[in-house]
Amino acid sequence: MDLISWISQMMTGCRLTVELFLVTIILSIPLGLIMTFLYTGKSKVINKILGVYILVMRGTPLLLQIFFVYFGLPFIPKIGQYLVISDRFTAGAIAFILNYAAYFAEIFRGGILSVDKGQYEAAKVLGISDMQTKFKIVMPQMFRISLPAVANETIILLKDTALITTLGLSDLLKVTNNIVNRTTNVSAYAVAAAFYLILSYLLSVLFKKLEKKFAF
Amino acid sequence: MYEIEAKNVKKSFGELEVLKDVSLNVSKGEVVAILGPSGSGKSTFLRCLIDLETVDNGTISIAGEQLCNEGKYPHNKEKTRILSKAGMVFQHFNLFPHMTIKKNLMCAPMLNRQGSRTELEDMAVEMLKKVGLEDKLDVMPSTLSGGQKQRVAIARALMRNPEIILFDEPTSALDPELTGEVLNVIADLAKEGITMVIVTHEMGFAKEVADKVVFMYEGVVLEENTPEVIFNNPANERTRSFIQSVLK
Repeated sequence: MDLISWISQMMTGCRLTVELFLVTIILSIPLGLIMTFLYTGKSKVINKILGVYILVMRGTPLLLQIFFVYFGLPFIPKIGQYLVISDRFTAGAIAFILNYAAYFAEIFRGGILSVDKGQYEAAKVLGISDMQTKFKIVMPQMFRISLPAVANETIILLKDTALITTLGLSDLLKVTNNIVNRTTNVSAYAVAAAFYLILSYLLSVLFKKLEKKFAF
Repeated sequence: MYEIEAKNVKKSFGELEVLKDVSLNVSKGEVVAILGPSGSGKSTFLRCLIDLETVDNGTISIAGEQLCNEGKYPHNKEKTRILSKAGMVFQHFNLFPHMTIKKNLMCAPMLNRQGSRTELEDMAVEMLKKVGLEDKLDVMPSTLSGGQKQRVAIARALMRNPEIILFDEPTSALDPELTGEVLNVIADLAKEGITMVIVTHEMGFAKEVADKVVFMYEGVVLEENTPEVIFNNPANERTRSFIQSVLK
């Protein structure tokens, strides 16, 4: 039957979607965290650079960034020849990671800002060092405060992965498009939607659990 | 030799001169209550004593060591060492919400390697007993009432074996029926010989527990004396009208 063969084809596309999703999450969250900590540091130069970085990453379309990393980088004068990323998945993943790191950095920064000033003062009068305060007092609270926003961003990422289709990679959406083109049966889109829905449902369940686990 | 010695402390926030010239001496084991209308600089002064605010000028000594000399501070490590004998309790408790009560108490001493885990655990239980909350060892702060939170905060301050504890309006954020349990704990500590400076609006408490009452007004100490004199026969007209207005 058609449906079964569709599903098995979509499974392979889904694999690529999930791979891109996981690579992005696993690398962009730590990268965003590092940016947040640089941002909350004292260096004005670093803050300026990060400010511009976040402005660009949030202020331009992700799709454009994907094109730029894959097609545009090699054309930069002088250094372009070293920036040829021939693997389309890698190029796409780099754009995703850089883009999402900027969003996560902003989410975490918001989390840090909502940690009460009294927490720093309590830590100080207890003789806890600045570094320890960051890691033992502020970060755990920041994570908890940021969790709903991180969940939101993560689900957006899951759907954004479909943009990788534009580099000609066979992700879930691309595979579905192929099926529709071949069979002229648009109900394949509904099946693809079900795939995305199931994945995002699983994500929201996971984050609900995390929120409960880290509740205080 | 005073336990706390503050001389000519000055502090401004921008244009606003919060502490104009504040001096105060506190002997070892003495309990001092600081009274005054809001905006008089009493909390700011307290915060200067434990380096939560940096003074613009003046000299502060804590437990015999200079925290700052005419506005000049030593480096951070040295400040931390000097202040290791002092603790502070805040109006809003400032417990660490992501830690159990036990971890709240043990966090700082563990990080500072003040003792082994078992030693510190025993100490945490002992301190919680002191404030009557030994059954709350493993719960999260959010499950406690305000009064209980403040008693935990006091127990947490005690984990440092402090010679000095500063209280910044310890009962101001509490429902009236919960202030008693906190004030009782503080009164007990007063009997143990810990030097205490308490910024408070609890007149009855100041009268009973304090050895000395300080009245601050617009960034200066207008009057300091025994509670009897301050409450019954203050020398300064402003002190008199403040006492009258709050006792009404």
